[in-house]
Amino acid sequence: MLAPFDLSIEPGERVAMIGPSGAGKTTLLRMIAGAIEPSSGTIHLHGRALARMRPGRDLARLVGMVAQQFDLVPNLSALHNTLAGRLGEWGVARSLVSLVWPSDRAQGLAALARVGVQDLAYQRAGRLSGGEQQRVAIARLLVQDPRIALADEPVASLDPARADEVLRLLVAVTEEARETLIASIHTVELAKRYFGRAVGFRNGVMQFDLPTAQLTNERLDALYELGGRDSAL
Amino acid sequence: MRSSAALPQLPAQPRWLESRRVLTLILLGALVLSLFAVDWSSGVLHPRGLAAIGDIFGAAFRPELSLELAGKAITSAWRTVAYAVAGLTVALAIGMPLGAVASGTLTGSRTASAINVGLVRGLLAFFRSIHELVWALVFVAALGLSPIAAVLALGIPYGGMLGRIYAELLQDVPQPPLESLRRAGASEWRVFWYGRLPMALPDMLSYTFYRLECGIRSAAILSWVGLGGLGFQIQIALADLAYGRAWTFLWALVILVLLVDQWSTQVRRRLA
Repeated sequence: MLAPFDLSIEPGERVAMIGPSGAGKTTLLRMIAGAIEPSSGTIHLHGRALARMRPGRDLARLVGMVAQQFDLVPNLSALHNTLAGRLGEWGVARSLVSLVWPSDRAQGLAALARVGVQDLAYQRAGRLSGGEQQRVAIARLLVQDPRIALADEPVASLDPARADEVLRLLVAVTEEARETLIASIHTVELAKRYFGRAVGFRNGVMQFDLPTAQLTNERLDALYELGGRDSAL
Repeated sequence: MRSSAALPQLPAQPRWLESRRVLTLILLGALVLSLFAVDWSSGVLHPRGLAAIGDIFGAAFRPELSLELAGKAITSAWRTVAYAVAGLTVALAIGMPLGAVASGTLTGSRTASAINVGLVRGLLAFFRSIHELVWALVFVAALGLSPIAAVLALGIPYGGMLGRIYAELLQDVPQPPLESLRRAGASEWRVFWYGRLPMALPDMLSYTFYRLECGIRSAAILSWVGLGGLGFQIQIALADLAYGRAWTFLWALVILVLLVDQWSTQVRRRLA
């Protein structure tokens, strides 16, 4: 559940959603992706009301998302999973033929190469490690090429070195494509390093919306403090 | 739950009155009563019965083994397999498309698919609720004793079973990967081909192999109707009271089923 709030993000901005688990970060990301509807209020993407857009190609051109579990189809190859980012653009016949002879193969391979897993293109996604699957999911986002890229907990359960690497990659690919990047993130250090702006949530209530340079320890302590008056725990 | 405190408390019931226990008691009582209904005085088996059972199962260890009989066993086993595989091919042609429609996952439109799903589910239920032996009698009456009758008799009810299970497997795949495909702009039709089908395929395949195994048994039974194959040979041997010969063919049947089992294990391992 999210309490009412206003938030406006400029194209090309990099925004970190921070806050403890259960704060509502994933809910907000899924709302922006059009996967769930807000019970009240509206979301506008590049001037268009999200509620008035039908899911499909138009929405896919605007928003793409790397989910926390990456959500690849385990029985399809990494290349097919990557090219699934093109499904909104392809016609029905082309989609079906592509299952056997991949369409836009060069584009898919280039995306896999960009994220550093081109060697795994023909491996089934279910056989890849978590980190490799995440890279394939980022490659899919690359191929989908939306205006707004969402990433749900991209560095959860990664060691610091890998977390750094993944965020650097996400920032680089979204910057190259001049995409807006909105990511939920636990680690404040990483938010400060890679994002220009931080929005803090706690128990579904927006606590602050600041340039990351202005994040003070007091604010963060208040955000993450356990057992507060409005705590759900 | 806090809200349950507001509900009126039901009077405490003795545990033995719970409906499941009552049902158990009734069924146990019925079992005991039924034992009294059996006429034990003349014995359950007829006088030669025990000896006959001994003869039949004893023959399992002494199957007739001659070159001629082995050749016959192989040709009739081959015919049985051919019936089973052809029948399953018909079943796949029925089960795949109808199962996909019956899963109700091909389109996003709720009303359009509800009508189709209802019709197709009914058709599948009709196909499989009639046993292959009955289908065989129908087709033998219509087409005569031809292999086509056997293949159709096997294919139609099996198509009904495959379709039903395929529909369920296609519905029960994990949702998050499908969601991610939709977010990438895929329509339900594309979600089906890129998400549902690939994810359901291993289970669909393993169920199909199980059905192939059943199909081999069924094809053997169908040859009782006079369509040739292992069942026909077993029938003749039993009629001659040549238990050893009957077992030659029965073992051929067992070996066939084991071979299919091996094959399916290997295919599944490759897919896993």
